[in-house]
Amino acid sequence: MTAAVGALATVVPETRSTAGRLAWLRERGMGASVLVAALAAAFGVVLVEVTAYIGATLQADPFLGDSGTLAVVVAILSVLLTAVAMYVAAVVTANTFSTIIAGRTRRIALMRLIGASARSQRAEVTGQGFVVGVIGAVVGLLIGVGFSAVGVAIGDTLLAGAPESFSLAQPGVALPVVGVALTTWLAAHIGSRRVLTVTPLQALGGSVERTHEDVTRRTGRNVGALVLIISGTALLALGVVAGLITPLGVVIAFLGGVLSFTGIVTGAVLVMPPVLRLVGRMFGRSATARLAAENALRYPERSSRMAIGVVMGVALVTMFAVALESSKALLMRQTDEPGSAEMFAPMDAFASIMMVLVAVSAVIAAVGLVNLLTIGVVQRKRELGLLRAIGLTGAQVRRMVLLEALHITVAATVTGLVLGVAYGWIAAQSLLGSVPVLPDFEPAGLVVPAVPWLPVVVIVVATALLTVIAAVAPTRLATRVAPVEALAAD
Amino acid sequence: MLRNSVDDMEITTSDLGLAARVQHLTKSYGSGAAGVRALEDISVGIRRGQFTAIMGPSGSGKSTLMHIMAGLDAPTEGRAWIGDTEITGLGDLEMTILRRRRVGFIFQAFNLVPTLDAIGNILLPFELDGRRPTAIEKARIDGLVERLGLASRLNHRPHELSGGQQQRVAIARALATAPDLVFADEPTGNLDSRSGREVLELLAAASRDHGQSIAMVTHDAIAAAHADRVLFLGDGRIVADHPRQSAEQISAYMLAAEVAA
Repeated sequence: MTAAVGALATVVPETRSTAGRLAWLRERGMGASVLVAALAAAFGVVLVEVTAYIGATLQADPFLGDSGTLAVVVAILSVLLTAVAMYVAAVVTANTFSTIIAGRTRRIALMRLIGASARSQRAEVTGQGFVVGVIGAVVGLLIGVGFSAVGVAIGDTLLAGAPESFSLAQPGVALPVVGVALTTWLAAHIGSRRVLTVTPLQALGGSVERTHEDVTRRTGRNVGALVLIISGTALLALGVVAGLITPLGVVIAFLGGVLSFTGIVTGAVLVMPPVLRLVGRMFGRSATARLAAENALRYPERSSRMAIGVVMGVALVTMFAVALESSKALLMRQTDEPGSAEMFAPMDAFASIMMVLVAVSAVIAAVGLVNLLTIGVVQRKRELGLLRAIGLTGAQVRRMVLLEALHITVAATVTGLVLGVAYGWIAAQSLLGSVPVLPDFEPAGLVVPAVPWLPVVVIVVATALLTVIAAVAPTRLATRVAPVEALAAD
Repeated sequence: MLRNSVDDMEITTSDLGLAARVQHLTKSYGSGAAGVRALEDISVGIRRGQFTAIMGPSGSGKSTLMHIMAGLDAPTEGRAWIGDTEITGLGDLEMTILRRRRVGFIFQAFNLVPTLDAIGNILLPFELDGRRPTAIEKARIDGLVERLGLASRLNHRPHELSGGQQQRVAIARALATAPDLVFADEPTGNLDSRSGREVLELLAAASRDHGQSIAMVTHDAIAAAHADRVLFLGDGRIVADHPRQSAEQISAYMLAAEVAA
């Protein structure tokens, strides 16, 4: 949880006394963006090193040396996990930058008023994103290499077949480092889209509170997402049916999974708001619950993107766990030998390792959640002041911010669990549906998805913890808003 | 006055016919040479059932006085009451609940919660209290909605309402709980003159027809002319206390004060 603590440090308001070319780095949100980029880069670097180390270890092993399968599997998983971490990091960064822009509106408007073009203003922000990305990537590289050095040292002492001389200078580490710098740059570019909508007029007094972000209707993108979801789902169904005849059904299903999940991620703004609304209703009709529910949907794009980051992590972990558990249940029916459960020990270990690795994305998502909530509080200072004036107590403010956080994590966790169970079951079903089972060695046919309860409980507890920790700093900030300072005319 | 026991001979706010009052109130910011005294030993009461305007140039302390009287800020020295409750020394929670139940607020701008519709905003003080309006309160709210011409707007969000309509929703919210006192801070500052006049007439009517005590901070002589009583502040002190005056009289007084300063 060091990441969350780090994020707390970055959201403390800072004085802007230090002038200079990099003074903007001290702005609220920039530190968190560096942290997020560093985490993703370090994670990628460690995975590259681990992959290389495992490869070297296998090569050094006289018995396994020829079989490269395991090394390939590990490499594929590393790429997948790094991609997820980078995606979540990019989402967090894009969100952070769009909120940084919201805070800078007045200044950008002033620059526009005295003659700067919208393009040049956006280019400035994007350039800052690049600097943030480079700093984060370099810091991540250092941390990742340091972490790997320790890991290798431990591995050398523990493993009998450790390679003689393993070099940490793997060329592959350049991939996550460059990748993170570039995705952060891209994320800053995407997040700064709103610069283009700032008009010079906004510099002139009339501080109209922008209550609703004008959600630009990007029909094209939404249609694309829908097409992906529908065609992906169709392929998933086809994969299940084909799986009843041949294990190759899993290939069709895999394609369907990739398509449909990409559709869900790009169409987050379509998918998440209804879920968020549903969760909001669950919290009851009290004033704090209703205010929190409305707040979570005030910037649907922002909340949806944030939620989808958590959805990805939860769905991945659940998918692996359910797929393994369902396969286990199926394979168990192939034999009635007692003690056969032991052969699944490596599979269980694999599932646990996956959970730990995906947890890194969850930490990045937590930083994003802290940011989202904090900036939500900063942007609504006057509204909070108004609410305090007309009678919202400090305890109610706390409850409101916590409910806002819960809103997003509950919606994301439930969505992730549902998706993960579905994908995991489809994976197992499409792969093993044709496998002959006892008693009469007929094909297994359709099986009920087996949900391993331990990982689910771990996920639920972890996200609950994540919510509470992420809400600490924003809550403190929110309760510090005094009615007077917020209502003083500016 | 039977309710005053022997060992509590202090005259209460309501005995004086006041809705709120302050005694020997001082407020200073900072200390030493850099310190600023916003209020200097002010003692004043807001009369029950009256519409009182608090006027003064920028920096005269009128907003500070209002904030302390409304329980939004704490004085450096002195005491303050809302009704018969002394608010100086109250904890944040007690103060918040007191504001929720017994004070109404109308501000210059940004009066409404943008995510709630008009009726949601009007009912907010009750919902924060965790209760539904009683039958009497419901009747009062219906009456207010009627009088303020909001019936067709109840399900609109603030950004769908004009400035004048938003301010009328804020008035309905402030009056809905029948508070001891309504504080209005430059309620017409962001409105065009016609909507501004409407808002002032509504406030004056609330006090005249329904006995609502209202204190309004303003620097607009035309706005102050709607009030039953005009208090003038200057340099943290009350410099004049006039009954109802015309806008010309008020402007003339302010101009003279400005010249004298």
